[in-house]
Amino acid sequence: MPPSASSPKQLPPVVEFRGVDFRYSTHTVLHNIHLSAERNRVTALIGPSGCGKSTLLRCVNRMNERFVGARVSQGQVFVKGKNIHDTDVDLTQLRKQVGMVFQKSNPFPKSIYDNVAYGLRIHGVTAKDILDDAVERALRSAVLWQELKDRLNQNALRLSGGEQQRLCIARAIATNPDVLLMDEPCSALDPIATLQIEELMQQLARDYTVIFVTHNMQQAVRVSDYTAFLHLGKLIEFGDTEELFSNPKQKLTESYLRGTFS
Amino acid sequence: MINTPIQPKIDPANPFVGRHSRNQTLESFVRWVLRCGTLVIVSVTAAIVLHIAVKGAPVALSREWPFVNVAFLTELPSTLHVIQDNQGHIIETDVNGADAIKMELGANLREEKTISYSGGGILGPIVGTAMLVIVSVGVALFLGVASAIYLSEYASHGTFIEMVRLAILNLAGVPSVVFGLFGLGAFVLTAPVFTNSPLDRAIFTLPLGFTTLSFQGWDTCVLSGGFTLAFVILPVIITASEQCLQAVPLEFRETSMALGATRWQTIWRAVLPFATPGILTSSILGIARAAGETAPIMFTAALAFKDKLPWQKDQISLPADASLFAHWEQNIQRFLAIFTESVQALPYHIYTLAARIPQNEYSERAQYGSVFVFLILVASLAATSIWMRRSLRAKYKW
Repeated sequence: MPPSASSPKQLPPVVEFRGVDFRYSTHTVLHNIHLSAERNRVTALIGPSGCGKSTLLRCVNRMNERFVGARVSQGQVFVKGKNIHDTDVDLTQLRKQVGMVFQKSNPFPKSIYDNVAYGLRIHGVTAKDILDDAVERALRSAVLWQELKDRLNQNALRLSGGEQQRLCIARAIATNPDVLLMDEPCSALDPIATLQIEELMQQLARDYTVIFVTHNMQQAVRVSDYTAFLHLGKLIEFGDTEELFSNPKQKLTESYLRGTFS
Repeated sequence: MINTPIQPKIDPANPFVGRHSRNQTLESFVRWVLRCGTLVIVSVTAAIVLHIAVKGAPVALSREWPFVNVAFLTELPSTLHVIQDNQGHIIETDVNGADAIKMELGANLREEKTISYSGGGILGPIVGTAMLVIVSVGVALFLGVASAIYLSEYASHGTFIEMVRLAILNLAGVPSVVFGLFGLGAFVLTAPVFTNSPLDRAIFTLPLGFTTLSFQGWDTCVLSGGFTLAFVILPVIITASEQCLQAVPLEFRETSMALGATRWQTIWRAVLPFATPGILTSSILGIARAAGETAPIMFTAALAFKDKLPWQKDQISLPADASLFAHWEQNIQRFLAIFTESVQALPYHIYTLAARIPQNEYSERAQYGSVFVFLILVASLAATSIWMRRSLRAKYKW
């Protein structure tokens, strides 16, 4: 449910873009982005292919910087009030607190348990009882515990596509992050699995701040509280989802929503 | 209207009747050329294997239980004495047996022939080859996997990396005898050792106080040969390992990084486990290559003849109260000493039998026996590799 009357200013933003430009070595793919994601809200990024929404999403956990020459060339990204490009920011700690789910469900070819415990083990948790607890909590949050509790040692690749994607969500939230980034989490799933994930996303917003990219405008309407529309690397419009879809302020947004896009 | 100048007549009974066009002729011609090429390869391979099996199997196998010629596999090579008496009986024996028989026969002796290396068995070469393979694969796996990980996971693409790749390709093209000479110069004559009394030939000595680091080489021994062979199979292992690493989906790395893993954690937990089956499989093929090379070990490790196994030499004697753990330094020293011995090796033994001694039926017999055993060993390595690939792939499929 989109928040009816709550103004965006009431909750402090967990993620905040302040005039961000992003470059891939030679060309700039994001221009002067101002955007903030509220705590415990779902924010959707929509826009045509190649508009930079995935790049924008990946700025939050600095996943773009794996590529040579890719960098934020201007502006700052704040997560939990801290500029994540400060020199005293440890990338591993940032990514522990900003979880990510990818477009293609990609569990490791390991057991279900090992998949969920992966993040914790990386961060040095070895105690069996802590791991057990965290795995159970993450699987419960991802609505998988009832289905999978008796076969935690089964290979994760034997799960169905929807289950795999929910397992990936469980894996991402096992380290108890504040922000959950999702890059088109349903694009490879059938309609029923998609509905389950959408429901899950709204539940997750109770504990996490969710930002997700989608191609599906109906999905943005169904799931998100706020929607940002990007076009050619520029943020065209950002606001309350209901408001943006029913009463877009920009002409470009309107024509995109109507599908009369040139 | 579409212009159709070559409209074939349509047969009402079979509307799909084909025309014997040039295309069809060419098609069957090409198919037969390709098929013949393949058949040539298959038949040559079959001929080689059959030839060796027919000539070698009677030597290495036996008709009675346990169906292998135990003596051939468990004895060291020795000189074969063939004694013929005046009645035409032929007796094969070793040097000790020959004396007794000659004594017994007395004047009845017609002639005695001795054939070098052709008596006894081939335990020495088998053991030597096994040790060379262990050392070379150990060294090559460590170096090869390390550099493959660096090239595939760490290095950024650029001129330097291209040059490294070119160098690796070139390494694969170096003739094996050049590796042999390299090993002679690098490992036999100049590699560093810790010693209290450096040799005069040492290029450089570095006094360390308690001992001296002397660049005097390791002499002709398993270590030198193993390291040389490691460089022969290194290109194979690097290339194969890199391919196996690249075959691990990029998403595994991304996911792992997104969970906050460092690069090494990612490699260790999300890349290597899934690349290991392939790396091991290809390194087994590397073993077969290392086992088969002759030239690299000619100058570095192999002897034409040796009457002792590596652990049968005079060792540092242990004190009287010797137990395995009481004197672990000495025990380790004794263990390492095994690898500083020169050995016989199967390919070099075969070369010696086939080209270095006068040919006759007895040397040929020993030669084909060795080749047969060698072939079985290499074939079983290849079979292990295939079996491993199958079973591990089933386990680590994604």
